[in-house]
Amino acid sequence: MKNRLVAVIVMLWNLLLLPAALGGEIRVFAAASLKEVLTEIAGAYGKSHPGTRILPNFGASGTLARQIDRGAPADIFLSAGPEWMAYLVERERIEKRAVAVFAHNTLVFCGPDAGATKTGKMEDLPALGRIAIGSPKSVPAGAYAMEALKNAGVAAGVEGKLVMTRDVREALAYAERGDVDGAFVYRTDLLPGRGASIFFAVPQPLYPRVTYPMAPTAEGAGNPEAAAFHRFLGSAEAKRFLERRGFDTR
Amino acid sequence: MTVEAFAHSPDFAAIVLSLKVGATATLLSLPFGFAAAYIGTRLRPRAKAVFDTFVNLPLTLPPVVIGYLLLLLLGRGGWPGAFLRRHGVQILFTWKAAVIASAVVGFPLLVRSIRISIEAIDDGLVQAARTLGAGRLDTMATIIAPLSLPGIVAGSSLMFARSLGEFGATIVVAGNIPGVTQTLPLAIYDYAASPRGDGMALALCAVSVAVSVVVLLLHEAIVRKTARKG
Repeated sequence: MKNRLVAVIVMLWNLLLLPAALGGEIRVFAAASLKEVLTEIAGAYGKSHPGTRILPNFGASGTLARQIDRGAPADIFLSAGPEWMAYLVERERIEKRAVAVFAHNTLVFCGPDAGATKTGKMEDLPALGRIAIGSPKSVPAGAYAMEALKNAGVAAGVEGKLVMTRDVREALAYAERGDVDGAFVYRTDLLPGRGASIFFAVPQPLYPRVTYPMAPTAEGAGNPEAAAFHRFLGSAEAKRFLERRGFDTR
Repeated sequence: MTVEAFAHSPDFAAIVLSLKVGATATLLSLPFGFAAAYIGTRLRPRAKAVFDTFVNLPLTLPPVVIGYLLLLLLGRGGWPGAFLRRHGVQILFTWKAAVIASAVVGFPLLVRSIRISIEAIDDGLVQAARTLGAGRLDTMATIIAPLSLPGIVAGSSLMFARSLGEFGATIVVAGNIPGVTQTLPLAIYDYAASPRGDGMALALCAVSVAVSVVVLLLHEAIVRKTARKG
């Protein structure tokens, strides 16, 4: 009886110790705004590499960087801005020379289709009620938006109106449901027929260009399958998927 | 950060807001909590079981479910929300939404404490008051309410403590607006999501622990004191 109990405990313990990544698994941590396009790219890659399974984890880039820093099993990191990639380089979780550019994007202000107020420029924003924005502490879209608000001189005017969301897609969801008057999201986040549309593109000199850096983590660098998928992410085929979804690849 | 800068920061506002939301939710719930507790003691067993289930539901439901249902009720689609908006009252994404969320989630704790107190009242006292000519309401005001005071105070402090920790329902209906609806747990959540937020997250955690300990110690002291008296 006692022996059997010990055997069960040993078995469970061994299960816990199993390597987190079994052969053929690639764990990709990616910015929430890449959800659809990366799922498509992974699907295309899976077709030509039947033995490989890509396990994506989407979220705010800052939150993902934190998870990786704390030891979450990740092979590849795709961030919506350079800040959190630099953070992981600084923490020696990613090698600096391995970082490449995956894509670019544009920040827009969107709002509910049914909304009465359609704003056309940054200066109109203080007249709105509630505005959804990714929490700038961890969401790059929110950090870009905050910078644009400051540079447009309307940061004080929207104070107390900004609903902080955990990632950019949650900000979009608020706008689609009509719970806010508008939200800062990426151009590629908006899908037709979901209840929200673009009011205006945030003028470019107000914020730095949205750049998605990508890199294998220290762990992923030693995983040949992850290295192969990382190369595929930079391929012409991946770029076609990106462009079809409205991302800028140049 | 200097003391003065901190006093003007959204983090300090979050601490104050948490206390304000907790206190308002508890005070608003008191009459309803007392009524629910009293009704609970008067019902027949079967009705009581149904009634208790509904009163206690928020205790076991995930707070996010409560938040979501409140969002549907108070949002664009729900009739209570539409009714309030017609009268110029905006609930969602204001601190009032945080109060409602806290009130719903903490309500069972309040009712439980009051009910235990009411059940402990000697039925002879109630009978005596009635035979001496006191009406139902009169008996309630002069016998039941004063004698259940320990339960009312204990339940209120417990509900207040629970309100301070409310997160799941609040973030759905009140949103995370710094300085307006961002309560202490929401501020911690915001920092905890960011790699560079550890210092502030831990500092606010310390505040949270300190406030909870003080409130629970007060709760214990009140319970002990009133128990001795009784």
